[in-house]
Order: sequence, then C-alpha cells, then structure tokens
Amino acid sequence: MNTSIPAISIKGLTKDFAVTLRGVKLRAVDDLSLQVEEGQVFGLLGPNGSGKSTTIKIILGLLGATVGEVKVFGVPSHQVESRRNVGYLPEAPYFYRYLSGYELVRFYARVCGVPKAQLKARVNDVVDWVGLSQAANRRVGTYSKGMLQRIGLAQALVHDPKLIVLDEPTAGVDPVGSAEMCELILKLKRQGKTVLITSHLLAQIEDVCDRVAILDHGKLMVEGSLLELVGQRDRQALIVDPLPATEIEALREWLTSRGHVLNAIEQPRARLDQLFLSKISRAGQLGGNPGVGSNVVPSSSVPKSSASASSSAPKA
Amino acid sequence: MSALSVPFSFNRLALIASNTFLEAVRQKLFNFLLLLAVGLVASAQFFRDFNFGSSELKFIADFGFGALIFFGSALTITATAQLFFSEIENRTALTLLAKPIWRAEFVFGKFLGVFSVIGVFCALTIGLMMALLWHREGQLMAANPEAFEAGRIMRYGDLFIVGVLQWLKFGVLSAIVLLIASFSNTNLYTVVTGFFALVICHLQYLARDSWSNVDSLVLRSVVRLLSFVFPNFQLFNLSDEIGQGAGLDPMLAGRVALYAVVYITVIGGLAVYSFRNREI
Amino acid sequence: MPFALNFLRSARTGLLVAAGLAAAGIALRPLEAPAWEEVRSRQPALRLESIKDALGQGVTVGLLGGFRAIVADFFWIRTNYVWEKYDLPATQTSIKLVTAIDPRPTYFWLNGSRMIAYDMPNWRIDKAGGYDKVPDTVKKRFDQEQSEVAIRYLNEGFGFHPEEPLIRLEIANIYLNRLKDTASAARDYAIAAEHPDAPYYAARIYAELLRKMERNTDAYAYLRTLYAKLPADNPQAMKSVVLERIRELEAELNVALADRFRE
Repeated sequence: MNTSIPAISIKGLTKDFAVTLRGVKLRAVDDLSLQVEEGQVFGLLGPNGSGKSTTIKIILGLLGATVGEVKVFGVPSHQVESRRNVGYLPEAPYFYRYLSGYELVRFYARVCGVPKAQLKARVNDVVDWVGLSQAANRRVGTYSKGMLQRIGLAQALVHDPKLIVLDEPTAGVDPVGSAEMCELILKLKRQGKTVLITSHLLAQIEDVCDRVAILDHGKLMVEGSLLELVGQRDRQALIVDPLPATEIEALREWLTSRGHVLNAIEQPRARLDQLFLSKISRAGQLGGNPGVGSNVVPSSSVPKSSASASSSAPKA
Repeated sequence: MSALSVPFSFNRLALIASNTFLEAVRQKLFNFLLLLAVGLVASAQFFRDFNFGSSELKFIADFGFGALIFFGSALTITATAQLFFSEIENRTALTLLAKPIWRAEFVFGKFLGVFSVIGVFCALTIGLMMALLWHREGQLMAANPEAFEAGRIMRYGDLFIVGVLQWLKFGVLSAIVLLIASFSNTNLYTVVTGFFALVICHLQYLARDSWSNVDSLVLRSVVRLLSFVFPNFQLFNLSDEIGQGAGLDPMLAGRVALYAVVYITVIGGLAVYSFRNREI
Repeated sequence: MPFALNFLRSARTGLLVAAGLAAAGIALRPLEAPAWEEVRSRQPALRLESIKDALGQGVTVGLLGGFRAIVADFFWIRTNYVWEKYDLPATQTSIKLVTAIDPRPTYFWLNGSRMIAYDMPNWRIDKAGGYDKVPDTVKKRFDQEQSEVAIRYLNEGFGFHPEEPLIRLEIANIYLNRLKDTASAARDYAIAAEHPDAPYYAARIYAELLRKMERNTDAYAYLRTLYAKLPADNPQAMKSVVLERIRELEAELNVALADRFRE
C-alpha cells in the first residue's frame, strides 16, 4: 500500500452554479484546498449552505468542478475508477422503496463488483452487522428512519471500501443511534479505513474526528487537528475534591504568590448525552454486547465464522 | 489509473435494467393490462353481434392493434418518464451514481428495463389477440366453410411480426422520452413533451412529402429539417394489412426493424451525451 | 454578452442533439426511403377534403396519424347503428364516409352496396306508405334509383380494387336481383368468372343465365370449356354439377352421341 497518496486531495476547488440565463452565478465552493490522509477520520463542518454537500458531491463525481482538482486515492474524481473504493451514506438516505433490505444491499454489492462467490455471505454479514437481519426481507419503504440509516450503512460498506463518506449520518437519529454511529466510525478507523463525515452535531464530531475543516459561504475558515484548534494551551484544568471556601482562598493566595492567576472555579459536568445513554436500556448494547457496533465490520477477506475474533485491516 | 480500469459493463447495465423492470412490476404497472385484456375480450364479443362474417376477424385485429398502439404509446411515455424520474426525484440516482458505474450504463440500463416492460405488454396483448382470433376464426370456419375455401384467412406469423415491429417502435419512442428526460427538470414536462414528440413522429411524413411545396425558403428548410430530425412512425403502420389477408414482405419488415434499432442506438447515445454532465 | 454566451452554452447540448438526430435521419434515408415507398403504396391517398367536414379535428388527426383502419371500423359500426334505425340519408352518408376513410377493405364496398340496393328501396316504400299502398311503378322506380346509386358506388370501388371479382359479382347480382336485367348480369358474371380468384359459382351462374336467355348453344360450349379447368379435388368447384348441366344441355340440344362431351 502506497501511504503517500492521500485518500482525498482537493486543490483550488471552486464550484459555481448558474442560476439565471443572465449569467448570475452562485459560488458554492470558493478556492478550497485540503487533504484527507488515509486512515483519518475527517470532519467537514459548516452551517447550511456552506458548501459541504457540494464538496462531497464533487468528491463522488456527481458534480464537476468549475475550477480546481479533486482526487480520490490519486484518481481524478470525475473518473469512474475513483469510486471503486468509496462507500457513501447520503443525508436522509434515498433507496429503492420497493426492494427488501436484503435485495437492496445485494443490488449495490453487485453494482460495486463484489464477486458472485462472495456475494451471499458478504450481504448476510453486513446486514447482520447493522442489526437488520430480522427486517431484511421487509421492503425498505416500511423502514423507520433509524433502519434506513442502518441499511444505508450496509450498502456503503458491503464492498469493503477504503474511504467511507458519511453525509450527516446522525441527522434525525436519537442519541442511542448517534452513539452507535460514533462507535462505528471509531471501529472503521481501527480497521484503517478513511472516514469523511459532515455533521451539524459538533459534540459528536469532537468525539470521533482526528481533523476538522470548517467552511462558511464556500470558503475554508479553519482546518487542523482538534487538539490544535480547540485545545487551550494557555490554560490548565485541575480536577480536585470539593474544597471549603477557606482552602480555596488559601490556594488563590498561594498561586498569586507564584505569579499565577486563579481564573475560575467551576463544577465539572458530565455530558448530557452520557447521562442519557447511562439511563437508557438500549444503550446497554453498546461496547461489547450483541448489536450494532459490537463486532468488527465484516471484511471481504474474513469468513463469517471468524469475524468476531478478527479486526484485521480490510482488503480491497 | 485510467477510467478504463472500470470498463463499461453489460452486467451492470443488465443489473440496472432488471432493477427497473422489478420496480415496474412492484409498482403494479401491469395491473392495467388486466383491464385491457377484459376490454379486448369484450370487444371481440361485441363484434359478434353485428354478424360481419369472416370480416369480423379484421375488426378484432384492427381494434386489437389500435389498443396496442394507443395503450402501448401511453405506457411507453409514462413508464419511461416515471421510471427515470423516480430515480432523480427520490434521489436514488445520487446513491447509485456514487458507485463505480458509468452514466451510459445507467441510461441504457433504464432504457432496457423500460423496453422489457413494454415487451411484456406487447407480448401479452398480441398473444391474447392471436388467441381470440384463432378461436373465433375456428368458429367461423365451422359455420361458414365457403368463406374459408383457401383455409385460414388470418396470417398469424405476420401478426406476430407486426407486433414485434410495434414493440421496436415503442423502443424508439422510449429512447426519445429518455432523451427529453435527460435534460428535463420534471416528470410532467417529460410526459407532455413525449406526447408531442409522438404526434410529430406520426405526422412527420407530411413534412417529408410536402416540404417542396412550401414557398418561403426559410420555412421550407425548417420543414425539410424536421423531416430528418424526427423518425417516421408511419413506417411501422403495417397492421392495416393483416386483417385483409395480404402478406407481409419479410424484406420490408427487416428494413423497418433495422431502422428502429439504429434509431434506438443513436437516440440512446444522445441521451447519454445529454445526461453526462447533469448535476444530480 | 454574458447573457448571449450563457444562452449559447445552454443551447449547445440541444443544438448538438438536434444535429445528431438530423444526421441519423439523413444517414438512414437510404434504408427508410424504399420501405416508406412500399408502405405508402399500400395506403391509398386520403381524400381529406371530401370528409373532413364530417369528422372532428381529433379524428382528422387520427387519420393523418395512421389510424385509418380503426377509424373506418368505428364509422362502420356507426353505420350499422343508423342502418338499424332505417335512417336513409345518415346510412348513405356513413357508408360513403367509411370508404372515403379507408377504401382498402372490400367488405365495406360490398356490404355498403347491399344496404343501398336491397334495404333502402324497402325503407323508401315504407316511408311512402307501405307495400300495399305504394303503386308498382313507384316501387320499381325506387328499386331502379337505389340500384343505380349502388352500382355507381361499386364502380367507384373499382378505382381502388381494379381486379376484384367480388365487386364485379356484386354488380351482377344487383342487375339480376333488383333490376331483373339478365343480359347485364350475365355480362358481369362472365367478366368476374374470368378472374383466377373468382368463386367457382360465378361461372356456373353465367352458364345458367345463358340458358335463361335461351342461348343454350353458348352455354353448352362454355360449360365444356369450364369443366376442363375445374379441379377434381375441390368440392367447391362442383365438377359433378357442371357435368350434369352439360348432359342436360346435350339432351336439350340433341347432341349426337359421338359428339358428346367426354370427361
């Protein structure tokens, strides 16, 4: 594997949409340059209309760039070859309502070139892995939002891609589902996959991403690792047992004598989503119990019987 | 790596075609065939009341082909538009085209799926018509043998061939609708324009035969151009001869079939060209 | 300028598609032209001026669109409805409309002429007061007039079916059954019988008409020639009946044994 080729390389990307015959243009992406290295989890953030979806569509070859170059594992994104190793979960997943879950995943597996000999096993594995075995023979049109997300995941992963693009994967999903999704992303990362994720839910992005980029009005505002961007290097936090007022005052004086300032005294807080998860019974299935996210993503090289014991890197 | 690392695949094309066919079946597009079948049987019964004699067979054949052409054209236009636009409007095209698939595979796959749907429709309609004619002709032969001195009047082989030619004509129509859909924004626009195209193709021969009679040079050029741009659907109008016992020239049928196949390929190719940069 | 440029860019695909279609049309013309000539030759010219007032716009477009057969069938069924109502003007108009739309089926010419020649005189008699009240001269006049209309109509049919023996036979029948004109009927039976596709009875009836006109010698000579041409294995040819007639005529004409017809 050639590790020097980034998973996604975007250089000087600009995308204009012509909105009227008079030539008035809408610039959706403006001179964007960034790189996603292989094996990273990369968050693409921004408010509505910032150009995230447009950028993703260009990466997937669904739109053409007006100016600039976009490559996926070194292959220009407009070429069919660039999508060979890409799995895509669209925002508000759109699937064929008249197909059953099993038929849908099987269809996409065949489109992506999964060999016939491995087809049945692969589809069964991935449907089982997303926890939809019981509903696999029902039509997709009868699925709930959460089930649609899961089947969307299944179709994105069935051909064991190296790059997975998740567009707002937790939009409209409850906290348990969001937590499951986060765990999935981390598992994909442990398998050496590259994940590009867009989301409005910044708390989730914080938990899973290695690097993030923030777009606004099509422009790149900031890009870097989370630690670089949000870590406060000029501050330290010490978590201690509750102190009486006199001891706090003594501590303040001691710090002052050494030229330091006690800036704030606060009560540490757990996150609300952590409290929620601790109280909800379904959340007990996370992290080692049967259900979504508990096993390794089925790999095309690993037979079903040994999947739970293996966390090997996927093969193309 | 070049784009040829993922070469054009007829397997993927067939996959999309079969998925499109499945969609048509599960959306119960064929249910109306039941009504049509009932209508055909009822009309055949209706003609008996008039005592047309052996000419009753001509009436059954004419109405059968009329129903085939009328409903077949409507089905072709609406099914092509619907089965293509459902991908765009439901945005399943987004998920599909994000896979390693050529846009040409997508367009031709959709076409083949619709063509199969229409093929089933034509086969069932022609099959039912032939069964009705065979049965009724047998009854008339028994009742009035003098009118059938030379044996059966209806040429069932010709009936079948004309049915195949109508299917091919619907294929050309479907390709035209697909071409319109490739740049159209709505299903409704595609359907309406498709019907306009159908009428123009049926009347194309008027432009073709009368362009030299037009006075204005500009108008004459436009009329002449129109006669080249649109295919001539009157060429497929061979069903009138069936009921009168005239034989179908195999060379003529071959030419018409080849004409249809070439047009399907060209128009399909133009649809791919038009769709290539469409932003989903 | 940006507007024009943008418009041109948008129209570029459309222009290329139109050019592609035109190129395909031109390239396919050598394949299509002979096929179209043959298809067109099977479709008689549509005499739209004579009928468009009787039709709605939609039906006119339907005719132009190539649905002549089914439109004609539809109007034939309508003809039957007005025929059931004994509506002479409507029936006559409808009959002519049907063959103006689609003159190809012989069935329309034959049955239309029968309605004109056989049914309409009775309708006129009924309308004039009935068989008991209407004088014979008037009845005969009605017969004559309707028969002439029917024969004119059938002669028009020859324009589209110049060799059709059934039309000739229909004319002969009108002369024989309605006008009682044996000579004219015989003439037309003879012409019809000459056609290879004519029914076998045409020749037999011609011979009978010759006998009726007391031209037994001609009838005998005709039947002898006819017998040799008839197939032995076709019951419709009724070869034995023809032989019977030959023997009858030999008896009536006292033909010598040595000269009698040998099979």
